[in-house]
Amino acid sequence: MADRSAFSPESLTENRLLYWIAAGLAVVMLAPVIWIVGLSLKNNQELMLGTEAVFRAPYTLKNYADIFVNSQVFGWFLNSMIVAVGQTLGVLTLCSLAGYAFARLEFPFRRTIFILVLFGLAVPEQAVIIARHQMFNWFGLHNTHIALMLPGMSSAFGVFLMTQFFRAIPREIDEAAMLDNTSQFRIFWKVLLPLTMPAQATLGIFTFLLAWNDYWWPLISATKKEMFTLTIGIASSQTNFAQSEGLGFLSAQAIFASLPVVIVYIFFQRHIVTAVSGGAVK
Amino acid sequence: MAESYRRSRWSHALFVVPYLIVFLTLLVFPLFWGMWLSLNKVDLFGGAEFVGLRQYARVLSDPVFHQAVRNTVIFVAVSVPVLVGLGLFLALALNRKTRGAAFLRGLYFSSTILSVTIVTLIWRIVFIPNDGLMALIFAGLGWEPIGFLSTKGWSLFSVGVATVWWCIGLPMMLLLAALQQIPADLYEAAALDNASKGRILTRITLPSIKPTIMLVAVIQIVMQFQLFGQALLMTNGGPAGTSRPIVMYIYETAFIRWDVGLGAAASEILFVIILCAAMLQYWISTRKEEV
Amino acid sequence: MKRLLIGTALASIACAGMAGAETTIELQRFFGACDADFGNVTDVSQAVGECGIITALVNKFEADNPDIDVNVTTVEWPGYDQLNAQLASRAAPDVVSMHYSVISDYQTRGLLDPIDDVLAAQGMSADVFTDASLAGVTKEGATYGLPFDNWTMLFHVNMNMMQEAGLVGDDGAPILPASVEELYEQGMQFKEATGKPYLVQILANETAAYTRILYTFLQQQNADFFADPTAIKLTTPEATNVVEMLKKIYDEGLTTTDMDYPAAVSGFSNGAGGIAVNGTWLIGDYTAQSEAEGNALSGGYTVYPLPQLFEGRDSTYADGHGWVLPKKDRSEEQLEAIGKLFKFLAENDFHWARTGHLPAVKAVFEMEEFQSLPHRDNIAEIAQTGQSLPPEVLRQFAIQDILGEEIAAAVHGDKSVEDALATAEKRVNDLLANI
Repeated sequence: MADRSAFSPESLTENRLLYWIAAGLAVVMLAPVIWIVGLSLKNNQELMLGTEAVFRAPYTLKNYADIFVNSQVFGWFLNSMIVAVGQTLGVLTLCSLAGYAFARLEFPFRRTIFILVLFGLAVPEQAVIIARHQMFNWFGLHNTHIALMLPGMSSAFGVFLMTQFFRAIPREIDEAAMLDNTSQFRIFWKVLLPLTMPAQATLGIFTFLLAWNDYWWPLISATKKEMFTLTIGIASSQTNFAQSEGLGFLSAQAIFASLPVVIVYIFFQRHIVTAVSGGAVK
Repeated sequence: MAESYRRSRWSHALFVVPYLIVFLTLLVFPLFWGMWLSLNKVDLFGGAEFVGLRQYARVLSDPVFHQAVRNTVIFVAVSVPVLVGLGLFLALALNRKTRGAAFLRGLYFSSTILSVTIVTLIWRIVFIPNDGLMALIFAGLGWEPIGFLSTKGWSLFSVGVATVWWCIGLPMMLLLAALQQIPADLYEAAALDNASKGRILTRITLPSIKPTIMLVAVIQIVMQFQLFGQALLMTNGGPAGTSRPIVMYIYETAFIRWDVGLGAAASEILFVIILCAAMLQYWISTRKEEV
Repeated sequence: MKRLLIGTALASIACAGMAGAETTIELQRFFGACDADFGNVTDVSQAVGECGIITALVNKFEADNPDIDVNVTTVEWPGYDQLNAQLASRAAPDVVSMHYSVISDYQTRGLLDPIDDVLAAQGMSADVFTDASLAGVTKEGATYGLPFDNWTMLFHVNMNMMQEAGLVGDDGAPILPASVEELYEQGMQFKEATGKPYLVQILANETAAYTRILYTFLQQQNADFFADPTAIKLTTPEATNVVEMLKKIYDEGLTTTDMDYPAAVSGFSNGAGGIAVNGTWLIGDYTAQSEAEGNALSGGYTVYPLPQLFEGRDSTYADGHGWVLPKKDRSEEQLEAIGKLFKFLAENDFHWARTGHLPAVKAVFEMEEFQSLPHRDNIAEIAQTGQSLPPEVLRQFAIQDILGEEIAAAVHGDKSVEDALATAEKRVNDLLANI
């Protein structure tokens, strides 16, 4: 038997060359971002005469300051937060429950229902958006946070992912609990759910990102400016042909709008990585 | 009693009910509504008139739709293998415990968090002539400039580059997870056999993560068939419609022309195409497994 | 004590008056948000740019009419997806900015209210507006929007480069072509002298520019391509002439290529070519740039309508911005408030004209302030020569996209000119036949 402590599978799979190629490619990933950060720090008039001005001083924070002068930005920010957090919690709840049942319980038509749900993956938003808009209209739900959160909760992707995660948890764990005559829900809640925390983090971050960056649904559902999300609000404040008028300002807006997700991401990044490593997408 | 979870029980379905309610009301019902719309001549403000399958006949005989289908299929056929291949490459390269690898993993994933408006803004500023980053690079190298967003072929390519840049994070992460789950004893056995690295890759690593590779491929097929924002914002489908995807065709017919019936028919066709592509892929990958 | 009582009484009366009579107008518009710079400006003459001027105009109106509150929502240009959603859920705002070219779409579906009575109640009649702008809002004999401006494509000229190319006359005005042949000749002359293309055009990610140019030169040839508003006619020698001209300009290298809208705007700023074919809205920016030192336009910018290149008549395709009233129940007070707002906007149309757009109100052309704005005398004729499509033509935005795409295909050599025009005609007519 080989010496377990000295053995590392990584020594068999690691490849220095691959690693350095990946590191080199990172430049391609990074260059556009650096470029746009540079633009955001430049005076708009100067950029209009040529973007190579990015490589020269002076730099300014005025583009960022200009964003905050619009007093509504904070309201929009708050709307985006409420919607993204609400939708994320909703998706996690629904998908964990469903994923658990699909992966570990048996009930009539389980396979059929699961396959039907998977069909949902293939539905393009365009195929349902008009009907959705009309339905929310019946119930007078437009221009509410609920209306912005709900459609995202029907996403089949989360169910798919959670089912995969639950399926990877060894059977012995809940079989042990079964012996103690624990209720189905208690097993789910006390035994299995804690094990899926990394998975929850992953799905949570994906859902948060989708909700935060959603464009079309909030555009047609939240038509009152008090209800705009940050994405819609920022788009609405651009003048007709803003791209030519303020490349710097536009870049600053782009960076500002991404900042919250970047922060959430950096904060949870460790979880995503361990999520996927500890969790189990097989 | 220990086997109770294996026994089929209606009460077990209660766990699925909350999601199913949302799924049925917000996805299935609107989908059927969309099918109904596709059988009508109707604009954004109602006034439906039943026309049977005429909208389908119109879509299927529209050369612009044919072109959009062709563009989309080419786009999927190229971008999905690239995303899966590159994702696999990055996962293999960055599956190590160093700080550098962790940093690079984060970096490659970071673009995923941006919204499509921002992604396209970034890449437009890269690809535009004169002021764009590529233009500056080409000028620096003394090369002939290319109209990345306005030349046949290059425009779809440019949309693809932006898409791969944007979407590479998810496949990489899912594949990394799978790699880290391969049981160490498999490698121990290989180490005892003194197998070469290449052999380990093809005999142990790749077969072990094959289900995940297939899963990633299905997810990407479904996502890339729904290409829209990047094309709309970067090229507006041009030139001559060579970068117009199906979803953009749907958007144009339903929301610019108010021809909702036609748009609905095109959406249903797209739904069927995605379904077939995903099922084909899924069927190939899970033939031997339990669903 | 007495003074205090009176003060309190006055204050309470004022409050009661405010609370009781305040009427709110929900106004939804594009043109962007610029509260940072103009949120508190009520002196309209201090404001610049589309966004600044409309913001200041509304501020001023609210200051003048304390009993009316204008609640402005800005939407992303052009805002029609949002408006459609609102109309579908019967939650449309009171007043909405709209291009003339799309008014028919909403009017024929009964989604707009005519504004004639609203204007009449303020003692206004439609004949204060220019013919070109009125043509954009008049449908079936009624006025369906307050005309605000007209805009067209223009020749923005870099005089410094024209000088270099020897294309400036003794009177200091640029020598512009008066026929298609002259366009090629002058274009070649320009290219040889400066090494830069003659025209700066928007050719990437864009369909509007080509379509507007096509309409303009078809009109100049007296081609009645929308004789039947439900069917376009493009398989004509006139249309072929225009597209072949555009193709030759492209093939001979007389135009910049590959530029999208923002690139074309900044390209002209940087001296990428002699003449930018672009809209009225850029006059202000380019004028400001020409007054600054050390750039390609310094001391050398002017602007003209698209030249008459074809024998026929002088004509330019024109569109414009108006203010429409989505159909809804409104109280007398609201209608009166809207009437006051419309009257105010019409009376202050000069300020809007400072953006570069042509005024919709005839009298503005006579104003000394207007005439003294830079270059406006060059383009004032558009009030007469500007022409929109027949008011019955529906889905003009969609038609524009189709035409632009097909013309571009022909110009870039992806299709023959005949094929492109035939395809365009077929696609547009299929669209119109299925409304």
